[in-house]
Amino acid sequence: MDSNLAAEHLQVIRTLMERSAVYRRALAPVMIFAGALGLSAAVLGWKLGIVQPKLFVGYWYGVAAVGVIGAFMMVRRQAWQQSEPFWSPPTRRVAQAVLPPLTAGFLLGVMAVAATKGTFMAANAGGSRFIVLALPLAWIVLYGCALHASGFFMTRGMRLFGWVVISGGCAAFSFLLMTSQPPSDQALLNLSHGLMGFFFGALHLAYGVYLYFTEPRRNET
Amino acid sequence: MKPEAFLQLDRVIHEKGRLAIMSMLAASPELSFTEMRDALSMTDGNLTTHIRTLQEAGYVSVAKTFQNNRPHTACSLTAAGKKAFTSYINLLEQIIQQNKPK
Repeated sequence: MDSNLAAEHLQVIRTLMERSAVYRRALAPVMIFAGALGLSAAVLGWKLGIVQPKLFVGYWYGVAAVGVIGAFMMVRRQAWQQSEPFWSPPTRRVAQAVLPPLTAGFLLGVMAVAATKGTFMAANAGGSRFIVLALPLAWIVLYGCALHASGFFMTRGMRLFGWVVISGGCAAFSFLLMTSQPPSDQALLNLSHGLMGFFFGALHLAYGVYLYFTEPRRNET
Repeated sequence: MKPEAFLQLDRVIHEKGRLAIMSMLAASPELSFTEMRDALSMTDGNLTTHIRTLQEAGYVSVAKTFQNNRPHTACSLTAAGKKAFTSYINLLEQIIQQNKPK
């Protein structure tokens, strides 16, 4: 065996090892936590009557921050309990996969808030109404893309879950574009928080419960 | 080039299919039969034969269980398998080092 062949062998081994290192931490607790948080935040937001674009974006960014921190702590705890590094190669790959769509969603929210001052959107009430309805749908579709991308480094079910979120978001978007009448204040409140609650709350909760009963108990990265 | 290193290469591991299986198992605590079959694009029969060879050499352990009422076959490296794989990698590195221009 010459050195080129040996180097080639090592390269193949490295590639295969990287490919097989799949993210395997238990997802059920994270999904249940995210679902419960999303659902309760939607109910709270609806009760508080948050419909102004700035408040709406700020409120849901706060909820997202709590969700990310909570999920981070849970995953870190799992890694610690199994005496494994938190920032493992599979974790890094999942983070890299979800980053572009999540960043796009974050920037869209920032731009939507910026558009509420001195733009044609801000000039009429319909503009800000459109923001509060279209923004959750854009977030949902982008979040679905993030889930789907992460599914390449996780259990295969995650890709399917991503597709469910993307299709649901697109269906809701087409429904919004086809409506002829602008929604009333109450309808706006119900729809915006309802969409967030359904996609970020109920769907996660349902998937989390499904995973709880089907996920193998021994989970490692 | 010294031929000793090449002669020391483990013949069980030094086969394309088995090397791929060992590489995948070395990076993961456990892999299912389906995961390996899909990742390596092997037929069921081919994969079974290679796993059996590795099992007979004491490098791989196979656990058959039921998941959601479906049979589930999971493979993992044994301590001997990990040791053999590490030695194999070290030998490959040794071959590369030996042939490096000085």
